[in-house]
Amino acid sequence: MNSRLLARLAISLGRNQASQELRWMNHAISRGHTNLSLEDMVARRALGEPLQYILGTYHMTLLLSFLTLATGSQPFGPLNLLTRPPVLIPRPETEHWVLNLAESLSPAAQNPISLLDLGTGSGCIPLLLCHLWPPGSVHACGVDISPHAMRLATDNAALCGIPQNASAISPQNTFKATFANFLADHFPVGGLRTALPFDVITSNPPYIPWEEYINLPRSVSDYEDPKALFGGPTGLEFYHAIARFLCRKGVLSPNALVALEVGREQAEKVEQVVLSTGLFRHTEIWLDPWGKQRTVIARM
Amino acid sequence: MSSPEDVLRLKQLKESKALQTAWDEWTQTRQLLDNTAPLLDDPDPTMRSLAVDEYTSLTSTLTQFLESTFPSLLVPPSTTSHLSALMEMKSGVGGSESSLFLGDLLRMYQRLANVNRWKAQVVAQNDNDGGGTKDAIIEIKGDGAYDALRFESGVHRVQRVPATESSGRVHTSTVSIVVLPLVEETDTQAEELFSMSDIKLEVMRARGAGGQHVNKTESAVRLTHIPTGITVSMQDERSQHQNRRRAFQVLRSRLLDKKLTREMEERRDTRRNLVRGADRSEKIRTYNFVQERVTDHRIGLTLMNLSSVLEGDGIQDFIDAVKKDHADSILEDMLDVD
Ligand SMILES: C[S@@+](CC[C@H](N)C(=O)[O-])C[C@H]1O[C@@H](n2cnc3c(N)ncnc32)[C@H](O)[C@@H]1O
Repeated sequence: MNSRLLARLAISLGRNQASQELRWMNHAISRGHTNLSLEDMVARRALGEPLQYILGTYHMTLLLSFLTLATGSQPFGPLNLLTRPPVLIPRPETEHWVLNLAESLSPAAQNPISLLDLGTGSGCIPLLLCHLWPPGSVHACGVDISPHAMRLATDNAALCGIPQNASAISPQNTFKATFANFLADHFPVGGLRTALPFDVITSNPPYIPWEEYINLPRSVSDYEDPKALFGGPTGLEFYHAIARFLCRKGVLSPNALVALEVGREQAEKVEQVVLSTGLFRHTEIWLDPWGKQRTVIARM
Repeated sequence: MSSPEDVLRLKQLKESKALQTAWDEWTQTRQLLDNTAPLLDDPDPTMRSLAVDEYTSLTSTLTQFLESTFPSLLVPPSTTSHLSALMEMKSGVGGSESSLFLGDLLRMYQRLANVNRWKAQVVAQNDNDGGGTKDAIIEIKGDGAYDALRFESGVHRVQRVPATESSGRVHTSTVSIVVLPLVEETDTQAEELFSMSDIKLEVMRARGAGGQHVNKTESAVRLTHIPTGITVSMQDERSQHQNRRRAFQVLRSRLLDKKLTREMEERRDTRRNLVRGADRSEKIRTYNFVQERVTDHRIGLTLMNLSSVLEGDGIQDFIDAVKKDHADSILEDMLDVD
């Protein structure tokens, strides 16, 4: 049976990838992370659905009570995060720069920092930082315009044991997902204002330009939220909006750091956009594991 | 003849209290035996029979001293006794037969781990399309796992008629095993095994534009330790981060293994037998299905019950025997030193 399923997967994925993925599916079944049969998994995957939406995680059975939608998983650093369509699946490129960012800053509980993640999706960026930095050293906010993302980020925070509010008893890192449109002129509003000013702002905003969007693999365009991917005609619209936001009074604290993930051939343009605000003394471009320019880092 | 460490070690032994106690008891027993000997010829039959009993019991005590008490006191305590093990298995000659046999051995060691209350986990595995496993790495965690399993390194040979062979011809195929000491990430002595600047880390496939454009899982990594040329590829986990951790774990094990072997070889001239097992291309054991027997070629031990080895806990007998043989040879070497 396995060889027939393998053949079926290999048509869309190639031999190596197919046998690898089949093994992960078998693992998920043998560890009881899923209720799906191997047949079902292969059928869905062969139609182009991302593996990360299909494969469950060991926490799933615990959570099933309140998760009505289909749930998959994706490891992200030492975390195992839930994934759920159409929220963007965390990418290895993002995992890589966030791990590096965690190493390059060392906040401490004596002087906790305030962090904002724009377009938080699954919550992967702030949750990994909250997990890696010492307890009580960071209070993070994530905003998103998608209710699916909001719910997923909140579920992931619960799964990772990151509370929304610090307890009085012991130092803890906190994460709160808020519904907001960060393109709006009046952003940030409400509860977010109390978190101002921010010491760190991170974002992996939608950055795919129109002509690349129409050529995306189907497992991306048919399953992941267009609002998570499409960066406007040039792919750079969100960076301009973020730059305008950064310029608003009281948004950044005096030694703030901004980290922005970028797409194909965008790094230098985004670096210019960021520098043109006149706010930063120093910028860097970080490479991803495949040697591509992936993250623009700006320091004041 | 003897290296400075050996001299030191013998000195320590002489001063050791346990040895002194054993020595005293042994001399006393000897003394009693000497006293009993004349009574064996006593004219009184009751006395004679008592003497015979006493003599037998004293002799057996002395034998016990010679066979186990002294050796156990003399063999230097293992410096690796706390280590867990990483077992790398590769199929060798014999194509798919060898892969099937690898699967059998894998299950055998998993069962052995269970019996010993070690935790066995497969960390990497490449299966064959035709069934069986091309290669695998298992992590076996627990005290004494490395010391028990290290002598499993070498070539394991199977002789059987493959299920697919209609003519009933016996095939010979092999699986090679290397058992490495496992270094935990938290183990501080691991630090000095390599420096990060000697490591080249590569991701395996090209990924086009990457980032938001691609959601295919491409988590395979390869790392190279430049000074030794050791490379480790890892692709079994679904994230790069996890594969990187695994790859570093394997690298640390290989480097520690190299270091231990080097240390052993430096003492080679005095300790001739200790290097047994360092040659991993040596054929160490044959599993013969036709004759239902397993033979360990190093110690010449044959067990006539193959299924108890592959499906029961018979493998423990081999492990114990080889371990004892190793301890004996250390002892012999120590006694050769004047
Ligand atoms: C590329 S995804 C990144 C998700 C996540 N941070 C990650 O790295 O995996 C971009 C996210 O931005 C959100 N988003 C798009 N437009 C937004 C807006 N105007 N305001 C707030 N969030 C927005 C999308 O819903 C999506 O979750």
